[in-house]
Parts: sequence; structure tokens; C-alpha cells
Amino acid sequence: MDSADDAGPNSVFPSSVQPDQQNPSVSERIDDRLKRVSLVDTDALPGDAPPPAPHAIDVDSHAGVNGVLDARSGSEGNDKREEDGGEAPGDVLLPQLVGAEHAFEVTRSSSDAGLRDNFEIEVEEPSSPSSSGYAGERGSSNATTSTGIEEVGEDEIVEADAADSSVWTPGKRHVDEDDGSISWRKRKKHFFVLSHSGKPIYSRYGDEHRLAGFSATLQAIISFVQNGGDRVNFVRAGNHQVVFLVKGPIYLVCISCTEEPYEALKGQLELLYGQMLLILTRSVNRCFERNPKFDMTPLLGGTDAVFSSLIHSFSWNPATFLHAYTCLPLAYPTRQAAGAILQDVADSGVLFAILMCRHKVISLVGAQKSSLHPDDMLLLANFVLSSESFRTSESFSPICLPRYNPMAFLYAYVHYLDVDTYLVLLTTSSDSFYHLKDCRIRIETVLLKSNVLSEVQKSVLDGGLHVDDLPVDSSTSGSLSPHLGQDRSIPGSPDRSLSGIGGPGGLWHFIYRSIYLDQYVSSDFSSPINSPKQQKRLYRAYQKLYASMHSRETGPYKTQFRRDENSVLLCWITQDFELYAAFDPLADKALAIKICNRVCQWVRDIENEIFLLGASPFSW
Amino acid sequence: MARTGTNNNIQAKLVLLGDMGTGKTSIVLRFVKGQFFNYQESTIGAAFFSQVISLNEATVKFDIWDTAGQERYHSLAPMYYRGAAAAIVAYDITSMDSFGRAKKWVQELQRQGNPNLVMVLVGNKADLEAKRKVDTKEGESYAQENGLYFLETSAKTAQNVNELFYEIAKRLAGACPSQTAGIKLQNGSLGRGRSVFCCSV
Ligand SMILES: Nc1nc2c(ncn2[C@@H]2O[C@H](COP(=O)(O)OP(=O)(O)OP(=O)(O)O)[C@@H](O)[C@H]2O)c(=O)[nH]1
Ligand SMILES: [Mg+2]
Repeated sequence: MDSADDAGPNSVFPSSVQPDQQNPSVSERIDDRLKRVSLVDTDALPGDAPPPAPHAIDVDSHAGVNGVLDARSGSEGNDKREEDGGEAPGDVLLPQLVGAEHAFEVTRSSSDAGLRDNFEIEVEEPSSPSSSGYAGERGSSNATTSTGIEEVGEDEIVEADAADSSVWTPGKRHVDEDDGSISWRKRKKHFFVLSHSGKPIYSRYGDEHRLAGFSATLQAIISFVQNGGDRVNFVRAGNHQVVFLVKGPIYLVCISCTEEPYEALKGQLELLYGQMLLILTRSVNRCFERNPKFDMTPLLGGTDAVFSSLIHSFSWNPATFLHAYTCLPLAYPTRQAAGAILQDVADSGVLFAILMCRHKVISLVGAQKSSLHPDDMLLLANFVLSSESFRTSESFSPICLPRYNPMAFLYAYVHYLDVDTYLVLLTTSSDSFYHLKDCRIRIETVLLKSNVLSEVQKSVLDGGLHVDDLPVDSSTSGSLSPHLGQDRSIPGSPDRSLSGIGGPGGLWHFIYRSIYLDQYVSSDFSSPINSPKQQKRLYRAYQKLYASMHSRETGPYKTQFRRDENSVLLCWITQDFELYAAFDPLADKALAIKICNRVCQWVRDIENEIFLLGASPFSW
Repeated sequence: MARTGTNNNIQAKLVLLGDMGTGKTSIVLRFVKGQFFNYQESTIGAAFFSQVISLNEATVKFDIWDTAGQERYHSLAPMYYRGAAAAIVAYDITSMDSFGRAKKWVQELQRQGNPNLVMVLVGNKADLEAKRKVDTKEGESYAQENGLYFLETSAKTAQNVNELFYEIAKRLAGACPSQTAGIKLQNGSLGRGRSVFCCSV
């Protein structure tokens, strides 16, 4: 994978921006420049509290809990595993973890701390060609680029189909599998939900009921460690991570060999739980109070597609880790027109009025003081989009927004205005269907009259922001906004657009997240990030970057520049925004910084087209 | 309730109840859109349709509530059936369980004590004769005992689907002028704070 993974147990967790050891003079210089120009107040960044030191224990079935062990010393377990031989890499073998001699480590911590990733600021791989050799190595770089982007070692069975969004179909696959099947064990990423009595509730792969034994094993592990008075968060077994999340009587587990950071996997489990609450509310806990052996699977009947589509989105939708939503690009007056009619409706007793196109917001409005969390929006959109039933006709259904109120149902009127565009009206009153239906008719009439729906379709066809459209340097316009590295003495400064390799300066892709708006904008993928596999790889790299930037243990960082054989990643966080950008691995650092400045300027220039401004109920 | 307007226009709320997968949505889609899908997705909450039937004596506009058969929605059913003029309780003739579930729905509706409710027991998937588990006689006699109209239908072949809705329309038209004329259509109102789950296992 990438350099951070290879760094191994000896990697440090830098507590501040560190100079590049190999070339201190260059990186110090750039570092200084970054610091000089960033307008960041460090204290304002999230996660500045020092974490309690995570402690780790070594558990094996014979010795039990026997003392403190470093969480990163996974080599011991690996060695034993290898001695056993015969296990295909990628196997999920949790039952054996308990029954056999494998040592594995359980990390428990009372907080979310514990970044198990090793980022170094200003990492430049020794193998990477230096920027001076840029032009001369173009030929070979193309070769490395194309092969390097392949996800070597990724599981062919699972993630291949999951990654390809063009052939991805919702619903549970491979129901015929169970924990005895080789194919099941080879899956790269499992998600399980079980009850505290060990009853299966949900499994990404295989039939829940055939996995009863496996669930019981998971339950045994969780209660074993829980008896120690702590919550299990994380187990590393060979190249597998097992992440647990305990929510009252409901246990959620992810078993993965995707090398995603712990925080990312935990966030995914939180969303999975949120999706469950959206369907059932937290009052489902009462069923377990009455009957600890309560079987919850019937209550989730017919929702496989909802969960599998959510899990799929963990590998393509940045909203799942950014905790922000994104808007469909629209001319300002168009979005205003949509917002005005939604506001009208909200004033008539609708709690939230949301107009969306696929996963993107066209406009949304909340009744006074009501605010909608981006995670709730994600879960709601996923629920609506993955349930074919909503496309059949208008419908009225109980829905819980877990961040709004996990205990209560709201009532959702859902109606598709065209094949991609749908309206969700939420209310607290179960008898307001006819009122909401009237509201929808009014909204639809206005949207048609003001051409909003045709503008929406046009925007869908146009796609999002293209990196090739990045305007040429406009920094001379005397803008007051912060700029990364305003150095004008960059050698070879005229933009060396690498023809065929992304946008200016080798820019492949970026994500810009506005902190106040709770919104992000993501560019379309540019060549050579063409295949879903490559996109997922980049997505995972961003996810890692996000986790490292937001980790209490290692952060908060203001800037990070990472170069490995696959890409250059640049992240810049200020009080106002976060920018994540991906470049060609040969991209010149100074130029990349310059490009990032231009991206930020560009985004600000067109913010009223790509963001929902003003009427946002999120901010205050 | 059914409501008559001028020229004998009747607006009637019709609710479909029954176990999941019995074919409620398929029946409605066959009636409203003339469609049938071999893979019909499970309904979420309830879907709303409307369709007009013209009889000689009246025009009936149906507000159709196609409810979800999934267990988690059972306790919310009153929100959809309250105020209904007609109810279709569906089972799948290839599943005895679904027939048992249908009987429970009939009992629940009877407990609501609306003497004017037009209730129809429907054995759907009549095309699957080879897999039949519920005898026509069984359905018939249960319906008779409980004063329900009874039909076997197939959403797939369209057998008896239009007949079903015409029969309901006729009964509503026959009942309306004399009995419930002028009664306002009531939208269901569900008391708030109602417990949502049936936890009996
Ligand atoms: N052979 C046959 N299949 C049918 C018939 N009606 C429905 N089906 C099939 O049965 C399945 C379930 O049908 P639905 O209409 O979704 O059932 P439902 O009662 O609406 O289910 P819920 O919405 O979950 O309550 C679908 O795959 C339909 O294609 C029928 O008359 N004959
Ligand atoms: Mg249905």
C-alpha cells in the first residue's frame, strides 16, 4: 500500500510539524513558508485536548489478559500465524483467534484516541524521483503511475465488485456463504451487528442465521474484555483489524484487512448504527430489556439494500468521513428559487424540507431553530436512494434522525420529482400526509415554473468541478484570503501542465470542506484516476489523511504533504476550511502548493454556486 | 369514510393490509398502472396511490394506502387504516403463515368497530396453483364467517384485480347515498407517544 503502512511499529507519532529528515534544508524552508502564510489559530482546531494514553493488553486464550503490551507490536502474532502455515492471506479467522494459540492484542481506551497510523509530515519517499528529475523521468513515471495505481493485493472477490459502481447492485450478496466458506473468509471487509446475547442481527456477507456460531464468538470476545470494566475498541490479528462498537445491547463489529485507520472504521460503525436507528429508533433497546434473547432480524426485514449501500458508500462517498454534505452545483438564483419555496413550506409547519438530487443537496430548509446534522442527511439520503419502494409512488413513512432525536420517529413524505430528484418533507405529526402532499404539489409547481428541475438535470449532465477548469493564477487580484506559499520565485514557475496527467501542476483531484457551512465540494476525478478502483484507492488515502489530521494523538496539523509512489497528497486546514488535494506523484511541491492556493481561490470565487449559503440551518 | 360530492362523486380511503410479500403493492400497481414486476421491492411505511373508477351510478376516487407488511410497521398501521372506507386484507395462497397473519388483521380491523367498513379478504398469487397451501374453501369459509367479501387474485396474470376494485367501488356507491353522504374524509390521526414496537416474539 503506501508508505505509512510500511513504516511499521517503529514509526513515530510526530507531535508537531517535523522537517524532512532526508532533506532538511528544503523542507524546512517550505515548512516555514507554510507556517508563515497560514492564518491558523491552532487552539481553534478540533481535538486539541491531549488524549489519555491508550493502554494495550495482550490477550491469548491460554494466558488471558497478561499485562501491558505495545499496541503496535503485531509482529509476534504475525510470526505465530506464519508458523501455522496454510492460511490464505486475507482470511478472516476470528473463531480461531479465540481457540488457538495466536496472540493478538486488544487495545482498550476510554476515549477515541489511538491512531494506529503513522503519518509523517513532509514524507518524501527516497524512491520518489526528485522534482529536478521531473521531465527526464516522464517515460518511466507514466509506467509507474499506471501500474502503481492498481490495487495490488486487493481482494479480487469482494472489493472488485463492490468498487465498480457501474456494476454495483444493491442488496445482500452471497447469502449462501457462512463462516465455513472460503469465499466468506476471503472477504476484505466484514460488518456484523449482533445483540449482547450473541444473536446475529446483520452481516454484510452471508446469511445472519447461518452465522450464529460466529456471532456467539464475537459476543464472547466482547463480554470477555468488557468484564474487565472497559470497552473493547480494537483488536489486531495479523493483517486484520477488528473494531468493536458497543451501543447498549447492540454490538457492531468490523473486521477488515483494508488498512483503513481505526478512526475511519469506527466512524463507519457509528454510521451503521445510525442507519439502524433511522429505521427503528433507539426504543428498540426496550425489546432487549424485556427479552435479552430478543431476535431483532425480523425488525430489519427488507433493509439489506439500505445497509449494503451504506457500506458501499464508505468507499466512495467523502461525506462518510468528512461529516459534511455536498451540494449540486447550480446558479445562485436557481438555488435561491428552490430555497424560497422550501422556506414557504417550512413556515407552514414542516420541520425540514429537503430537495436533493441523488446524494447532493439542491436546497434545504429547517423550521426555526431546527438543525439537521450532515450525518443524518447522509443516512436519510442513503435510505431513500437505496429503497426502490420510494420510486414507486409518493410515500409517508416513520423515520428517525439519530442526531436530531434518536428516540422518536419523524414522519417523512418522500416523492421523486424526476428520476434523480426527490423531495423529503419531515414532520413530527403522523396525520399531516395530506398537508405535505399539498406542499409537494406547490413546490413542484414552482420548481417547474422557475425551471429549477431542468437546471438540475443540466447540472447533473455537466458534472461537478473539473480540475482542468481551474482558472489561471488570479492571486494578483489582491485578495485578502490566506494563501499557501506565496513564493513567486518557484523555479520553472510557468505551469507545467502535465498533458494527459490531470489538471495544472499534475492536480488530479481535490476536496474542499467549508467548516462553517458543514459542506464540502469535491472535484470530478480527472485522468488518470479513471477506474473505480483507483478512485477508491485515492478515497482511502484521503480518509487516512483526514484521520491523521484530526487525530488527537498526532494532530492537529495545519498542513501535510505526503509523497509516495502513487500520488502526492496535500492537506491544508485552517479555521475556515480543509483542503485535500491529490497530485501526480512527480508533481513539484512548490507548484502543488501554488495550485492549492488557486483551488481555494477558485472555490471562494464560485462559492455561491457550489454551496448552499445563508439559509443553512446547520450553522447557528 | 367515503364522501359523496355532487354528481355522486365518492372519495374513499382504501387501505391494503397483509403480511410482507403477499403482493399488496403488486395488486395496486396492476390496478393503477397495469404493471407487474417479478422483483417488487418491499414497501417502506406506506405508499399512496389514487385511482378513479367510474360506475354507472357514481364515480369513485380511491385514495389507496398500500401499507408495508414488514413487522416493524405493524404498530403504525392504525395511522394508515384509521378513517378508511374500505380495506383489502391480503394473503398469499402459497403461505399458510400469511393466511394466519391475514386473520389477525381482520380481527384488528373488526375491533375498530366501524360497521360501514367494506372489507375484502384476498388470496393473492392464484397463478401459483402448484404451490398452493391455502385452500380456496378455507379462505371462503373464513370470509363468510366474518362477513367479508372474498376473492382470489393474481397480480401477475391480472386475474380478478380489476374485479376486486370494482366490487369495492360498487359497495361503496351502494352504501354512500343513503348512509354516509356528506361525511368528511378523515385523515388518520395517530395518538402521539404511542409505543412503536411489538416485542412479543
Ligand atoms: N407469482 C406471483 N407473484 C406475485 C404476485 N403478486 C406479487 N408477486 C410477487 O411477490 C413478491 C412480493 O410482492 P409485493 O407486491 O412486493 O408484496 P407486498 O405485500 O407489497 O410486500 P410488502 O411491501 O413487503 O408488504 C414480488 O416479488 C412479486 O413479484 C402474484 O400474483 N403471482
Ligand atoms: Mg409492498
